[in-house]
Amino acid sequence: MQYLIQLLISGLAIGAIYGLIAMGFAVIYKSTGLVNFAQGEMTMITAYIAWTISTTVSGNVFVVAIGAILAAVALGLIIERLVMRPMLGEPVFATVMVTIGLAVILRSAINFIWDAYPHGLELGMGRGIVHLGGIGVRTGQLAVIATLLLLLASIWAFFRYSKVGVAMRAVAADDRTALLMGISATRVHALAWAASSVIAGIGGVFFALSYDLSPAMFQLGLRAFPATILGGLDAVLGSGLGGLLIGITENLAGGYLGSGMKEVAGFAMIIVVLMVRPFGIFGERDIERV
Amino acid sequence: MRTGDYKQSYGELVALIDSPPVWLWSAVLLLALIAAPFVLNSYALSFLMIILITVTGALGLNILTGYTGLISLGHVGFLVTGAYAYAVLVSRYHMPPLVGFLGAGVVPALASLIVGAPSLRLKGLYLAITTLAFSFIINTVILEMRWLTNGARGIQVQRPEMFGISFDSDAAFTYLCLAIAALTLLGTLNIRRSRVGRAFVAIRDNDTAARVMGINLHAYKLLAFVTSAFITGIAGALYGIYLSFVSVEGFPFLLSIEALAILIVGGLGSALGAVLGTVLIVLLPEATRLVFSLFSAQMDATFATGAQELKSMLYGLVIILFLRFQPRGLVGAWHDIKRAWVHWPLRY
Repeated sequence: MQYLIQLLISGLAIGAIYGLIAMGFAVIYKSTGLVNFAQGEMTMITAYIAWTISTTVSGNVFVVAIGAILAAVALGLIIERLVMRPMLGEPVFATVMVTIGLAVILRSAINFIWDAYPHGLELGMGRGIVHLGGIGVRTGQLAVIATLLLLLASIWAFFRYSKVGVAMRAVAADDRTALLMGISATRVHALAWAASSVIAGIGGVFFALSYDLSPAMFQLGLRAFPATILGGLDAVLGSGLGGLLIGITENLAGGYLGSGMKEVAGFAMIIVVLMVRPFGIFGERDIERV
Repeated sequence: MRTGDYKQSYGELVALIDSPPVWLWSAVLLLALIAAPFVLNSYALSFLMIILITVTGALGLNILTGYTGLISLGHVGFLVTGAYAYAVLVSRYHMPPLVGFLGAGVVPALASLIVGAPSLRLKGLYLAITTLAFSFIINTVILEMRWLTNGARGIQVQRPEMFGISFDSDAAFTYLCLAIAALTLLGTLNIRRSRVGRAFVAIRDNDTAARVMGINLHAYKLLAFVTSAFITGIAGALYGIYLSFVSVEGFPFLLSIEALAILIVGGLGSALGAVLGTVLIVLLPEATRLVFSLFSAQMDATFATGAQELKSMLYGLVIILFLRFQPRGLVGAWHDIKRAWVHWPLRY
């Protein structure tokens, strides 16, 4: 029982990180209709920048947090403006391939700029252990779960009540009509890329805080992928919750079936999900007109 | 004055080779390739081998992604399955290499039936994601089946001996690769001009319309998967033999991307494109290194230390630039040049 609860809690913690990155996927899919295969790499760059700030400028938590968020916004905007906007109106296959190309470039750029060794992000917090009913939990793990829940709530409110959020939903629903209503689609796309970069970046920084920075971190993007599929590619909140589910599934599979199963549990799950309900638990069914 | 190519019968339209100069140049290319092992040094010869093996694999992916329009992000899964099928049959159970090659085709083809099954329900991106998941799952399956595959330690593979000929030397092995690549090229070109190929292309262009025309979507999509996996598996076996060692690390995920890059750079849905794309993508890092070394020795040194990173950055950059500026790939560029050559100074 102790073992099970331990597995569940660490599953929730890693699942919250997957959830954050999966929300990044969903924000972009919802407003631009494409899957960003470079999400993991963008996450990783933000985490590396946070680490650079913490070692060169200041180890203060707030400085690092603000620096990382600003860097993530800049990264999202630059990528949208330089790489994605020229591809506007091209077929989805071409645009998705561009994000794959981008992923390859970013990944090698990281190895090129920083080195290939693992680093720990030391902010003097996040690695302490709290005891909850006899089970040790890292504060960083608690913080990431809290952050995910907080972001889920605020994003729900943002899409529901704010003018910009409603505009984003309008573009997602029908970009031409949205355009006729005076909404700038390009601005919405830019905002989506920046927001996605920040949300996923937060996940990346938390990952670095609880575990380590290493060139293999881009796999986080691939691991978070099943979460978006499970929750629904166009469901931002669903993706966040999907992350928690995937995290728990992975940990249970790893704990009871062996470490090899941990690696593929998520992927095995998405194949099942895609066969049964391709649009995910919370996603909207695509209706195709002939 | 030549005013254009006019095809007057369906036979002319689907002819494998439509003009005498193409016959001539194809023959010249074949002769040059046959002569190559005598002329090239072993460094250049290794590039030729890689190109021939990659052409085989790219042609395999071309059937699925280029002709049928089903995007696969996990083709490296078929490559690694083929390599392991060959290695297990030949190195472990001491079967004749011919049986090994047959197994290298058949085992991925069977696996593709499992991967292909979701394709009957899924389209586009979702299918791409399924194939991606498959390639990760197959790696874990291979690592877990230690009794058969030696797990992470991999399997040693010897160069084969078939029909009483030893393919041990580099030259002989190049001929083996050449023969297989040429057969694959001929095979895919013939598939393209047959009933099956037309059905594939119809599915790519509009699957609802294809179905209305009486094409059995399920059968033809699965057929595309099986054919593609068979060819890719054989390419995998060749690559395993070339590396002389089959392991999961030898077939990184990047190979899937490289294969798609080849198709995009060459021009999707064209066998000629797959060949041109392969030559460009395989030689690109080497060509860049040469250009760098022309500028200065220091840049050459940078290239040597970060070679792997620069190589993958180049792939990414080439994919993006081609999609942005020449979406029809090298084949499209070649057609434009030909047209400009014939019609100059007129535009049409």
